[in-house]
Amino acid sequence: MGLRERIFGAPKASAPSSDDLFDEAFLARLELLQVIARRLFRGRQRAERKTRKVGSGIEFADHRPYSPGDDIRNLDWNVYVRLRRTLIRLFEEDEDLPIRVVVDVSDSMCLGGGAKLRYAQQVGAALAYVGLANLDRVGLTCMSQESHVTLPAIRGKGRIFRVFDFLKSAQTGGATDIRAGCGRVAAQSNQPGLTIVLSDFYDLEGAFEGLNMLRFRKHEPVAIQIIDPAEADPTGSGLRGDVRLLDCEGDTQRDVTLSPRALASYAEAHERFCAQLQTNCRTRGIGYVRANIDIPFDDLVLRMFRQGGILR
Amino acid sequence: MSFSGWSLSQLGVLFGVCGGAITVLYLLRMRRRKVVVPFAALWERVTRDSESRKIWRRLRRLLSWFVQLLLLAMIVAAIGDPRTNAWVRDPMTVAIVVDASASMAGPSGAPAEDDEEPSRRMEAAKARAAAQVRGLGPSDRAVVIVAAEEVSVASPLSGDISALLAGIETIEPSHGEANLGGALTLAGHAVRGNPGAQVLILTDGAVNVAGADALRRCIDDEAIRCEVDTHTGPADNIAITAFAARRYPEARDKLEVLAEVQNLGDAAATVTLEVTADGVSVGRRPLTLAPGETRREVLSDLDAARSRFEARLSAEDAAVLGPDFDDIAFAVVPPLSPLRVALISDGSNLFLDAALLNLGDHVQLDAAEATDPDLAEYNLVIFDVGNNALPATLPQTHLAVFDPWRFEDSPFPIGKAKDVARPFLTEQARKHPLLEFVVFKDVNIGRGTTFALQPGDDALVRSLGDPIVALREDEYITLGIGFDPRQSDFPMRIAFPLFIDNLVRYVEQRTPGFVASAPLGLSQALGLADLGLSPEGMSRVEVRGPQGEPQTRPVERGRFRMRALVPGIYTVSALDGPATGAQVEVAVNQANSGASDLHSVLGEMDLPAEASAGSAPDPAPLTEGPLWTAVMLAAAALIAIEWATYHRRVTV
Repeated sequence: MGLRERIFGAPKASAPSSDDLFDEAFLARLELLQVIARRLFRGRQRAERKTRKVGSGIEFADHRPYSPGDDIRNLDWNVYVRLRRTLIRLFEEDEDLPIRVVVDVSDSMCLGGGAKLRYAQQVGAALAYVGLANLDRVGLTCMSQESHVTLPAIRGKGRIFRVFDFLKSAQTGGATDIRAGCGRVAAQSNQPGLTIVLSDFYDLEGAFEGLNMLRFRKHEPVAIQIIDPAEADPTGSGLRGDVRLLDCEGDTQRDVTLSPRALASYAEAHERFCAQLQTNCRTRGIGYVRANIDIPFDDLVLRMFRQGGILR
Repeated sequence: MSFSGWSLSQLGVLFGVCGGAITVLYLLRMRRRKVVVPFAALWERVTRDSESRKIWRRLRRLLSWFVQLLLLAMIVAAIGDPRTNAWVRDPMTVAIVVDASASMAGPSGAPAEDDEEPSRRMEAAKARAAAQVRGLGPSDRAVVIVAAEEVSVASPLSGDISALLAGIETIEPSHGEANLGGALTLAGHAVRGNPGAQVLILTDGAVNVAGADALRRCIDDEAIRCEVDTHTGPADNIAITAFAARRYPEARDKLEVLAEVQNLGDAAATVTLEVTADGVSVGRRPLTLAPGETRREVLSDLDAARSRFEARLSAEDAAVLGPDFDDIAFAVVPPLSPLRVALISDGSNLFLDAALLNLGDHVQLDAAEATDPDLAEYNLVIFDVGNNALPATLPQTHLAVFDPWRFEDSPFPIGKAKDVARPFLTEQARKHPLLEFVVFKDVNIGRGTTFALQPGDDALVRSLGDPIVALREDEYITLGIGFDPRQSDFPMRIAFPLFIDNLVRYVEQRTPGFVASAPLGLSQALGLADLGLSPEGMSRVEVRGPQGEPQTRPVERGRFRMRALVPGIYTVSALDGPATGAQVEVAVNQANSGASDLHSVLGEMDLPAEASAGSAPDPAPLTEGPLWTAVMLAAAALIAIEWATYHRRVTV
C-alpha cells in the first residue's frame, strides 16, 4: 500500500479474523507472556495473580490467632506444639486481573485503508489473548464519538474467539473523542483494573484528559499510540500546491497551499504533539508506547511491549 | 515588422476575446484538489502560520495569469505571421557572379592587421557575397557562379543559406583571366523568368575586352537588374610574361633561356630575376623597370644536362610584385634523344663504318637490311650498297645514298643525268653546312654519275659543271653522292669523316629539340612529336599537373589537347602504343600580361549609377523559416516551462 493510499480516501478496514491475526507459533509465544499491572487490583475469581487478599492460596502469607469458626485444617500445629498458641496459617490469595482493552474505531483510525485500525485490533487481540491465557478477566471496548460497544469481561483463552468476533463486528466510524470514550469506560467498569487504550489520540484537547480520567477512577491506564508514519511526516508524499484539506471525521475543510516547508512544519507539529502526550503520560505514571505501523506487529508485541513494561 | 497574415485589428479582436475568456476563467475560483487528512486540527494549527504568505500566493496566481496571457499573445502573433521588413518585400532571385580571375588575388587595399598578409580582393568579394546571402529572405533564392577561365557553379540556385555560404567559401582566384561573358550568360539563364531576377557581379574591374563587353550587355539588359560591386586595390605588379628555353641548333648540348619581365604597375620598381635549373641557380639579374616597361633577359650557354628551368621574381618590397601567380615561370627542355642512323652496306666500306662510329653517343648506329620495313623509323638511312641494287621503295626519312644510279632502274628521287668516267670535282658549295671543313678538290674517282636537278635541288659538288653531289630538301632531306667511295680515294682523306659528321649534324638540326611553354587557361593542341614523344600507335595520354591530378586525353593525328589551370610543369605519359610508359614534360606558364594587369577598366566604361551595387542588405533575423515558427517555438518553450513548474508544484 502506497503512502498516498494510506493517507487519502481508501476504503474502510474490515476487522481481522483469527486466521490472519496470529499463527500457532505466535500464540504459543503469547502464552508465555503476562500483562503487567503496576498496582494490585482486586479480582473476583481465583487466578494466578497475587493480590492483597489473604485467602486460600497455596503460598504462605502470615499467621493470626485462631477464632471460632476458622477452618481447623489451617491451624498451624507446629506452632501449637512449640509455643502452645493456636495460630491459623494464612495463605496469599491468587486472583485474576481486570484488563480492559479499549480500541479507538474512529474515522482517523480507518483512514488510508484502515491500516491503523487493523494494527490496533491486532495489538488489542494479542493483549487480550495474553490476559486470557493468564486467566485474567479481559473486556474490550470499541469507542468513537458515534459508537461505544463493549464486550463484557471474559476469562479463559478459549474465549479468544469472542474477542475476534467482537473486533470483527464492531462498528467503526465517527470522530475521535478520547475523553468521552474513556469516561464511559470508567463509568461502566465497577471494578478498576488495567485499561489499555489503543488509539492515534488525534484529539488535541481530550487525548490526555481521557487517560487522566481513567486514572482518577483508579484504573491503571496504558496508552498505545498507533501512528502511521506517512501521516506523521507527509514531506515524502509529493503533496504540493493549493489543496483543500478535508477532515476525515467531520465537515471541517481548509484551503491551504502546501509547500515543502508547510509539510515539514506539520511533521514537526505532529512530533511535538506526540511528545507532549508522552510527557503528560509519563509525568502522571501512565504507561505510553508509540507504535508505528511500519513496525512488524509481532515485534511490537514480543519486544517493545516487554521493553515498555506492558508485558513480561 | 508587419503582419502578413491576419490584420492587426483582427488580431486585436482575437486577443481581446481569448484574453477575456482566460481572465474570466482565471477569476473563477480555482478548484482545489481535495485531500482527506486524519488530523485536521493539527493541519489548521500549522497552516495558520502560512496565512501571512497569502499575498505572495495571490501574486503567484497573478503571474500565472500573465503567463497565460503571454502565451495567448504569442499564438495570436503567430497567426498574424509577423515578418521583418526584409521579408515583406517581393522575393528575389539573385545570381552572384564572383570574378575569380588571377587579378582577384591582388591586394584589396584594406588595411592589414598586424602580422597578417594584406587582404586580397577575393576575400572582400567573398565577404560581400556572404553578406548578400545572409540578407536573403525566406522567399529569396540565389546562385553563386564562379567566373574563372572556366565558368563553374559554386552553389546551385537555392534558398539554403548554409549551402550558399559553403559554396562561397570554396571560391579561390584562378591563374588566368575570367570568362566573364560565359559567367554572365549562365547567370542570366539561371535567374531569367524568376521573380526579382538580379545579377550581382563582384569583381575588381580588371577584365579583358570581352569581359567588359559582357558586362555592358548585362547592364543594358532590361529584364534583369545587373549590379556591379567593385573590390579593387593597388595595381602594382611585375610579372614574368614569357619564359622559354631551347637548345642551340648548332650545339645541342648547350641551352639558352629567355625571360620576359613586365612592369604592369604605375611606378618604377626594382626586382631580381633568378633562374634555376633543376634547383640550381644558373642566373640572377637585378632589373629596374619603369612603369609599363618590358625587359627581355637571355641566359646563354647553359648546360643542356639541365632539363627543368624555373624563373622567379623577388623584391625587397614585396608589394611591387603584386600577386604571386605571375612571379614564377617554368620551362622544360626535352631530353636529347640519340639520332638513329641506319647503315645499309655490303660491309666492305670500313671507312664509312669508322666515320659513323666516331660520332659519339648521341648517334645510335644500326646496321640494317635494305628490305627492313622499319627503316622509316630511323632519323637517317645511309645506303652504301656497292654492287647491290637499291630496294624498290626507299624509306620516308632522311636519306644519304652513295652511287645511287649504278643501276638504271634506281628508285632514287633525284634523276640521273649521265655516267662520267674519271670525273673531276671542280666546284663545291663551300658555305653549305654539309660541306663545312670539307674539301673535295683532288679527290680521285674512278666512275661516277651526275644528277639531273629539279628546281629547289642543291648541287653541293659539281664535276665540270654537272652536279655529282646533290641535295633535295622536302619534308626529309635526300642526299645523293654520285660515286662509290670504294672507287675513289675520298674515304682516305680527312674530308670523309668530316663530311659524314656534317651530314649527321645536318639531320640532327632538323629533328625536334625546342618547344615553347604552353599558356595557362587556353585549351590548345600540342604535338607529341614536338615534345619528343613518338605518336605512332598512341591513342591516349595521361597529363599529370603539378598538383598531381591525372587527366586522360585522347590523341588524334599525333596531337592532344591540354587545358592547364595551374602554372607549373606537367607530365605527359603515353598510355598505349609502342611508347607506352614514356614520359615527357611540358611547362605551363601564366604568360599573359592581361591577366596580370590589376588595373580596373570599369572607370573607363562609364557605367550608369544604378549599375553600382549598394551595401549588402541587413541580415535576416532568422535564417530558417518565417518568424511565426520562432514565435510558436517560444510559446512551446513557455508551455514546457509552465508544465514543468506545474508538475513541480511551483506555480500551483
